[in-house]
Order: sequence, then C-alpha cells, then structure tokens
Amino acid sequence: MKRRSFIQNSLALGSLVGADLLLPHLAFAASPVKVGLMIPMSGPAGLFGPSSKNCGELAVAEINARGGLAGRPIELIISDAGVPPAEASQGALKLWKGQQVEAFVGMHDSAVRGALVGVFKGQVPYIYTSTYEGGECSPGTQVLAETPTQQLEPVIPWLSKERKLKNWYLIGNDYNWPRDTNAKAKQYIASAGGKVVGEEYLPFTTDNFDANLAKIKASGADAVLITLVGGASVGFNRAFASFGLADKVTRLGTLIEENTLGGIGMQNAANLYSSSGYFASIDTPAAIDFAKRYGAKFGAQAPALNALAQSVYDGFLLLEAMAKKSGSMDPKKMETAAEGIRFSSPRGDTTMHQRHGKKDIYLAKAEGNGFKVVKVFKQVDAGKNCKA
Amino acid sequence: MDSSTITLLLNLVYHVLVLSLVALGLGMVFGMLGVMNMAQGEFLTLGAYAMVVAQRMQIAAGWGILMAILVTATLGYLIERWLVRPLQTRPLDTLLATWGLSLLVRKGIEAVFGRQYQNITQQIGGSTQIFSVDYPSYRLALMLAIVCGLLMLCLWYKHSTAGTRLKASVANPVLAQAIGIDVKRQACMAFVCGVACTGLAGALLAPLVRVEPLMGMDYLLGSFFVLVVGGLGSLSGLFAGAGIIGSTQVLVSTMLDQTYGYLAVLTLSIGFLWLRPHGLLSNR
Repeated sequence: MKRRSFIQNSLALGSLVGADLLLPHLAFAASPVKVGLMIPMSGPAGLFGPSSKNCGELAVAEINARGGLAGRPIELIISDAGVPPAEASQGALKLWKGQQVEAFVGMHDSAVRGALVGVFKGQVPYIYTSTYEGGECSPGTQVLAETPTQQLEPVIPWLSKERKLKNWYLIGNDYNWPRDTNAKAKQYIASAGGKVVGEEYLPFTTDNFDANLAKIKASGADAVLITLVGGASVGFNRAFASFGLADKVTRLGTLIEENTLGGIGMQNAANLYSSSGYFASIDTPAAIDFAKRYGAKFGAQAPALNALAQSVYDGFLLLEAMAKKSGSMDPKKMETAAEGIRFSSPRGDTTMHQRHGKKDIYLAKAEGNGFKVVKVFKQVDAGKNCKA
Repeated sequence: MDSSTITLLLNLVYHVLVLSLVALGLGMVFGMLGVMNMAQGEFLTLGAYAMVVAQRMQIAAGWGILMAILVTATLGYLIERWLVRPLQTRPLDTLLATWGLSLLVRKGIEAVFGRQYQNITQQIGGSTQIFSVDYPSYRLALMLAIVCGLLMLCLWYKHSTAGTRLKASVANPVLAQAIGIDVKRQACMAFVCGVACTGLAGALLAPLVRVEPLMGMDYLLGSFFVLVVGGLGSLSGLFAGAGIIGSTQVLVSTMLDQTYGYLAVLTLSIGFLWLRPHGLLSNR
C-alpha cells in the first residue's frame, strides 16, 4: 500500500468509526445502558474470545437497531473471564460499581461463575451461557447453558438404538464437569439397557493416551463418551483413530465443537458424534440467516462460529426479552419476568423455566467437511437444577 | 506373550524414543552449553508449524521437514549470536531473555496462524502388523527413524574430529581455546544443532499430537525431567533419563492411571534433584 493511500484509508476508517460511535446517541434520546460481557480473552479458553466478542457485538448492534433495552441503547463493555476466578470477579466488580454496568452476560467456566454469583448476590441481572454441569439456581442468575441432562438424556437412548451400543466407556478430564456429566450419563445408559465398562479421569497435562486406549480395547467397549476438553480431546481422538478403534467403536462427545473437530481432523473422525445446542452447520432458515449476518458484519476471514460463541448471542436475546417483559432494568422485576419467557434464536425456540432454558438439542455426526446434524431433539428440558 | 503385552512394550519403546528425540535438543543447549533456553519448546512448535505451512502449500511432507530444520537453524543462529552470546556470563538474564523470546514466538505464531488447533495429515496412515499386533504405521516409521538418527549421532559424536572438538570445548573451554579450537564457533554450532533438532522433532511429531501455539510448553517440562534424572552433558545420560522417565510414566499409567503416572514422574524428578542433583550419568 502506498503511503498516501494508507493515510487516506486510515482517515476514512477513522471517520467511519467516529460515525459509528455517534449514531446511537443521535438515534436514542435515553442514556445508554451498559452491559458487561464476561468472556475468556486469555488463558486456555481464550481461543473462543474473538468469536464470542463478535457474537456479542452482533447481538448489541441488532438489539440497538430494534430499540435497545427498555428503550435505551446498549453500550457493550467486555472484561476478561479467562483468568483465575478472583481476578475475573475483580474485573466484573469494576464494571458494576465503577462503570455502572446494569446487567452481565457471561460465557466462561464454572469456577468463574461461582465467584461472580458470590459478588453479584442477585443485585444485578446475570445470564450464564456456556455448557456446564447443571445445578445453578442462585437469585439473579439465568442459565442458557446446556446441562448434561439436555445433552445426554434423549441422545444416549437414541444413539444406543441407532448404532446398537451396549458397552460404554466414560473418559474425561479430572474436574467437576466431566464427573457430574458422567454421573448423569450412567443413569441414562442403564435405562437404555447398556452398561458402563470403564470410567477414567485424566489430568489436563496428559498428552499420551496409549494406556487409556489399551484399556478401552480390553474393556470390549462399543461406545466411548468423551468429556475431555480442548487439546486433550484433540490428542485422544487422533490417537484413538491411529490405533484403528474408530471403525469399531462409536464416539460421543458433549464438548466437541467445530474447532476441536478441526484439530482432530476429518480423517480421524469416523463414527464421531457430538451433542450440542448449536452447530455452525445447522440448516434451519434462522441459523443460516444468522451465519450470513455474522459473515456480512465481520467478513469471510472472521473466526468461525461455534456453540460457545453463539451462546453469547442468545444471552443478549434473553436479556432483551427480560427487559421488554418487565419494562425496566430493575434486577428484581427482570428476575420475575424471566420465568416463562419464550424467545427465538438461531438455535430454535427457548423457553425459560426455573432459571434454565428449555431448548432444542442437536446430535451431529462428523462427516464430509464438518458436522452434519443427524437428529434434532425438540424442546429438551434442562432437568432439575433447583433444590427447592 | 499376549497382544496387549506386546502393544504395551511397543508403546513403551515408542514413548522412550520420542522422549529422547524431544530432550536431545535441550540436552545439547542446556546440557552441554549450560544455556537454560526457556524458548526450546517454541522451536518444537515452530517445527510443527513448518508442517502446517507445507500442508497449506500442498508440497510434500519432506519439504516441510526440511523447512522446519532450516527455519529453526536460522533463527537459532541469530539468537545465539545476538541474545545468548552477549548474555553468556549472566545465566539469570539468559533465562529471562529466552523466556521473553518464548512469549514472542508464541504470540507471533498466534498472530499468523491464530489460536485454533491445526490438523496435519499423516503421510503414512493405517497400521502394520508387527509381532502379531496391529500398530500405527507412522509410529513404527518414526521409531525406526529415531533409532537410526540417534545411532548415527552417537557414532559421529564418539568417532569424528568435530565431535571430539565439541567435547573438548564443553569439558574445558580455556584449554580447548589454547590448543586452537574456536570455542565460540563450537558453542554456536551446538546451539544451532540443538534447536534444529528440536525443530525436527516438532515436524516429525506434528501429525500425532495437538498442534497449537502453546504446545511447546509441555515438551520443555518433559525434557527437563529427562535431563534432571539422566544428568547433563552426555548422550548416555540422556538415554538413561528418557528410559527411566518414559517407562515409569507408561507402566504406572497402564497399571494404575494417568494421574499416578504423572505423579510418579514428578516424584522421581524431585527425588533426583534432592538426592542426586547431578543425575545418573553426568559429565558436568
């Protein structure tokens, strides 16, 4: 690029950005409502930061074009949730008390959620959106995340019948999400007439899966439920295929999204299934249109859509619906309004019940260039998450 | 012997060989030159990403391996000349500087390739029957290549003049200088060979492991354990360390589970640091 044209372009870009910042203020007379978005911008999950940020920005732009939250435009403020819980809650506290943020949307791990719930104490609306182990029922908190009940209760019986699976091997990383998921999975496997032939939890540092693969082979398993995350899932699945297990043993994962599949590689993904509330390849008109809008706003080179990032978009839709129904940003009123809300998103319809979303669950098989949805389970309940 | 025992033995040999290959680079740089190169793992990452580039350009994997060696060797030369040599007498600063370098390389890779996992296709797919069990062909080829490579290296190190010169510069730099060996050049060569070796390891392992910008860190730690147990400065120490660490991990992981396998490796390393700080076979 020539220097002059570079300067011209920069100036043009600058004025565009300026106009972008000014426009909402011209369009809305009311003062903006600040919404905090807690997403991992660093750490192991930082991979999902850029796509999550994009989904948040897309949601805010669209909601503002529709009139904002209770008549006020949203001003988006992002804080890093890819840090230790204490640090993340410090960041949230700064937004809440320092910058007068009036609501939070969060896509991060459960440890950070625990810390945030402790800080907010129900005094500011908080919507949690990433896949988790279930059981969150704190005041002020709404959960759009898929629970193990949603991802497995309908899926295990269907897949067992479809592929004639009897002997399940459970393997996951060693923390509460895989353990709680497997506790549920055992019930569903038993009621589908199958049995669990092995259960293992690996440290995050594991990069050699030979010992586990030998055990799986010896156990006579015909199905493996995978709750390994990120790099561990990539390494395990690659080794699984190289030892020739892929043709004989069916794999089911509840956190294998597009990016993990990319690392596993299609050549290593025979008979690999994934259960989730969203895939980039869902071919409903709403999902296709969403992908188109995402592409139009962020360009063809934008970070690819995935279930975790897309959940942020749904988080903002729920916030919009809560503000609309209660007619305010008052935490108590919004909380009361949340129960029974029904909204449509690229995932399909979601109905709020007991702080959780009842929604469609997709089962996809790795095929061709990516995931192909093979079965949709309509309006799956999140299960019992509140003790009372 | 039943098939699961044979598979276990093959896994054990594979693991020990890979560990030797990965630790070899650090063994040269840290073990011989005493340069604690915190960026050693990043050279492995660079080697793996050379394969990513080769795959994108749709050229043969062999070119990727060559690219891995060339890129890491060139970078190694520049680093030795402008970073390691000026800090030669300040080990703590070397540690900090190379740590900074590792961050820089990681972020650089992130900027160019993004943080997502990369998928590298195995050139030798499928499995081969050996001792009546099916074992991944690529692993078998890799094991063979490592054995040949290490054998050649041992012979060269033991019998060539260049190897003797290198040994002399490591054992007594002042005396070596006095009899006309260019010690600085020897050090530079050892550093470049060390990082290129790690780059090569990255390229060879890329089709088997997860490839992402942070992958190098695990290998730095693993190599360090090998050197702690085996001792610094000798090839036999390196193999002893890789043998002990590798087989402990594989055997304990198979008999108990992975958590205990990792625990055993850590305990062993701490034990060695405490009771036998120079390792089993040390030259320094």
